[in-house]
Amino acid sequence: MRNRREILKVTGMLMGAGLSGSLSQNVTAGLVPTDKPARSVFDARSSKMVAILAELIIPKTDTPGAIEAGAPAFIKMMVADWFNDGERKIFFDGLTALDDFCKAQYQKSFLTCDEAQRIAALKDAEKFAATYKSAGPMFDFSQKYVDSNTPFFTKLKELTVLGYFTSEVGAKQALSYNPMPMRYEGDYDFEKVGREWSW
Amino acid sequence: MQTAYDFDVIVVGSGITGGWAAKELTEKGLKVLMLERGKPLEHGKDYVTEHMEPWKIPFGGKPLRELYASDYPIQSTSYAFDETTRHFWNNDRDNPYVFDENKPFHWLRAGVVGGKSLLWGRQVYRWSDLDFEANKKDGHGSDWPIRYKDLKDWYSYVEKTIGVSGQSENLPHLPDSEFQPPMQMNVVEKAVKQRIEATYKERKMTIGRVANLTEPLGARGACHYCGVCQRGCSVGAYFSSHSCTLPAAQKTGNLTLRANSVVEGLDYDPATKRIAAVRVIDALTKEKSRITARMVFLCASTVGSVQILLNSKSESFPNGLANGSGTLGRYMMDHTDSVSAIGITAEFPNKYYYGIRPNGIYIPRFRNLRGRDTDASFERGYGMQGLSMPLEWKAMAMQTPGFGADFKKALQQPKMWLMALVSFGECLPYKDNRVLLDDKLVDRYGIPQVRFDIEYRDNEQRMQADATQQAVDMLKAAKMSFVLPIGKGGPPGSAIHEMGGARMGRDPRESVLNAHNQAHDIPNLFVTDGSSMASSSCVNPSLTFMALTARAADYAVTQLRAGKIV
Repeated sequence: MRNRREILKVTGMLMGAGLSGSLSQNVTAGLVPTDKPARSVFDARSSKMVAILAELIIPKTDTPGAIEAGAPAFIKMMVADWFNDGERKIFFDGLTALDDFCKAQYQKSFLTCDEAQRIAALKDAEKFAATYKSAGPMFDFSQKYVDSNTPFFTKLKELTVLGYFTSEVGAKQALSYNPMPMRYEGDYDFEKVGREWSW
Repeated sequence: MQTAYDFDVIVVGSGITGGWAAKELTEKGLKVLMLERGKPLEHGKDYVTEHMEPWKIPFGGKPLRELYASDYPIQSTSYAFDETTRHFWNNDRDNPYVFDENKPFHWLRAGVVGGKSLLWGRQVYRWSDLDFEANKKDGHGSDWPIRYKDLKDWYSYVEKTIGVSGQSENLPHLPDSEFQPPMQMNVVEKAVKQRIEATYKERKMTIGRVANLTEPLGARGACHYCGVCQRGCSVGAYFSSHSCTLPAAQKTGNLTLRANSVVEGLDYDPATKRIAAVRVIDALTKEKSRITARMVFLCASTVGSVQILLNSKSESFPNGLANGSGTLGRYMMDHTDSVSAIGITAEFPNKYYYGIRPNGIYIPRFRNLRGRDTDASFERGYGMQGLSMPLEWKAMAMQTPGFGADFKKALQQPKMWLMALVSFGECLPYKDNRVLLDDKLVDRYGIPQVRFDIEYRDNEQRMQADATQQAVDMLKAAKMSFVLPIGKGGPPGSAIHEMGGARMGRDPRESVLNAHNQAHDIPNLFVTDGSSMASSSCVNPSLTFMALTARAADYAVTQLRAGKIV
C-alpha cells in the first residue's frame, strides 16, 4: 500500500521482547515515557540555554512558544537519552561555541546577553551549519535516516521543531489537531482550518 | 488406514490466506486447527498504540537506533515499522536467516496472530489473462494451469466479503472489482490525472483500490481516515484476519487457534500417500507434538510454507515434501519496488485536505499490453502507485532557513505539494532465484535456517529504468516542477510481495501444485499462499492469494466429501 507513510519513507522524505508475557505487557513495557530523561546531562547553565534557544527558534506569537509547549524538556530528553556520545558532544560543543561567540563579540556569556545579542549568536551558528552538506536525502521525514554529524544548529532546530509540533500544546494550538476526521475530502479550502493538520 | 484424526484440517498460518482457509473450511462444517508461530493478539484490545497521541510516542517517533540495529535490522527497513507498530513485527535477532551479502533479501514478517494482514498496504487488484498467459506467451516460467475465468467469481466472492473501495475503469487488463464507493483524489491528483490522460491517450490514473471500507460492512465500520491503519483498527475498517476472517471462523464454533506454535514439518505416509501429521514445536516451551488431520492447508506465507516443505524430507521425498519436480524453492519472485519520480507544485496555495486517506492513486500497466512495445527493452510491465500531499512542517522545517516568528508561521501553512509516482514491476520467474535450507545453521527451534539466493536481473533493471523515465515524463506532462528521477528501489523482499517456490503448474515434473493448489500426488496437502504463484504480475498480490485460497478450500471440501482426500 501506498499510504503516505510508505511514499514518504520511500522517497526519503519525512522529518521519522521477550517471548513470554502478554502482548500488551510487552508493548507497554517497551514504550518509554518521554516526560523526563532517564539521566541528566544538563546543568543549570546548559538547561537555561536550551530553553532560551528553543524559544528563539519557536517564539510565542499568537500561539504558544517552545517553552510553553514543553519543547526544552523534550530536547534535553533527546540529547540525554536518544543521542549517541558523538551527537551529544556536537550539541554541547555547540552551546560552548555560542558562549565563545558572545564572549568575543560582547564580552559576556550567552546567558548574560540580551535577546538581540543571543539572536546574533544563533545566526552565527546557523551560518556555520549551512556549510555542512549531509549525505542524506533532501527532505527526511521518515525519521529513519539519521546523520549523526549534522552541526549543532541543525540538531537544535530539528529537535525544537519536533518537540514543539508533536507536543500537545503545539499540536492543538499551533496546528490543527483532529485525530478522528471520519471522512476524507480531497478538495478542501485551507482557510476552513487555517493551520496545518497535526498527524 | 487411520480413521481417527485430531482435526479435520490443520491450517498453518493465520495471515491473509490462513484466515481465509480457516473461515471457508469452518463455515463448511469442518473442525479446523489453526497453528500460528507468532504471539497471540486480540482484535481491539491489543491495538495498544491505535490512537496514541503524537506527544506520547517515544522520542517523537525517532527510531530506537540501537534496538533496531540489534533486534530489527531488516524489519525496521519497512515503511510500516516504527515504535507504534514494532510489537506486531518479527524479531530478526531471534529469527535469523541467511543470504550472501551481495545478494541481500529483506524477509519481512509479522510475529503475531494475523501476520502481515495487520500491517499490509491494503492495495488490491485483480489479475487478468494478460498476467495468466504471460508465461506461456514469452516462455519465462511455466504455464499457469488456470486462467482469469477460473478465478473471476472467487475474486467477486472475496471482494464482497472483505470490502474493497475503488473506481470502475473497465480496463481489460485490470478487471474491476466489486467496489464500494471510491475515495476522492485531492486537487493536485485530479489535475495530474487530467493532464496525464490528455497527453497519453491510452493511460489512466485512477484512485487506488483498497481494502478499507468506505461504507459499513456487516459488523465492521467505515474508515475514520485517521491514517494509522498499521497500528490496528478496532473498528475493523480495513481487512485483516482479525477484522474479518477470524471472527467469521470463530463464529462457527469449529475453529481452534493455537498461537506460539511453530510447524517444523509435515509427516508423509507412503502407504496412504497422504500427509499423516503435522509436527509442531511450542515456541515458549520448545515441547514437540504431532497433530493429525485429514487435510493440511499450508498458508504460512511464501517463504514460511516453502521452508516447511523443504524441512519435510523423507525417503519418498528426499528433496523436500511434494518436490518430485525439483522446483520446490525455485522461481522465487518479488516485485521491484521503487520511487520512480517526484515533482513539486505550488499551483494550489489555498487548497488542503480533510482526513488522512489510507490510499493513493494508481496508474495501471500501460507497457507491453499487446506484445512487446516497439520501444520497450523489457518483457511484461509495471503499475504505478503514488499520491500527492502538501509539504507540511515535517518535510519543510529543515528546508526553511531562519528561526523565530516568521519561521514558525511558515511551518503552519503549506505552500507546495509533492507528487510522487512509485512503480511495482513484475519480476520474471527465474529457476536460479531460490530459497534453500542452510546446511549448517539452525534457528532457535532447531529448524534449518532459510538461505536466500535471489537477485533482480536484466529484465527487472531495464523495466525499472523505463518506469523511472516514464514517470519523469508523466510528471512533466502534469506540469510538476523540479521533477526528479529516483528509480532505485530496495533489494528483493522489500516490496513485501515475495512469491513462488511451490508453483502451480500443468505438469507434475515442473511444478509442485496442480490447478487447485493441491500438491501433485498428495491429495490432502494444499498450499494457497504466495508460494503457489507461477508468475508475479505487477499488481499487489494479496487479493489473488485470497481468491486462490477460497477456491482451493471449496475444491478441497468437495473432494473430501467425495471420498477423494481420505
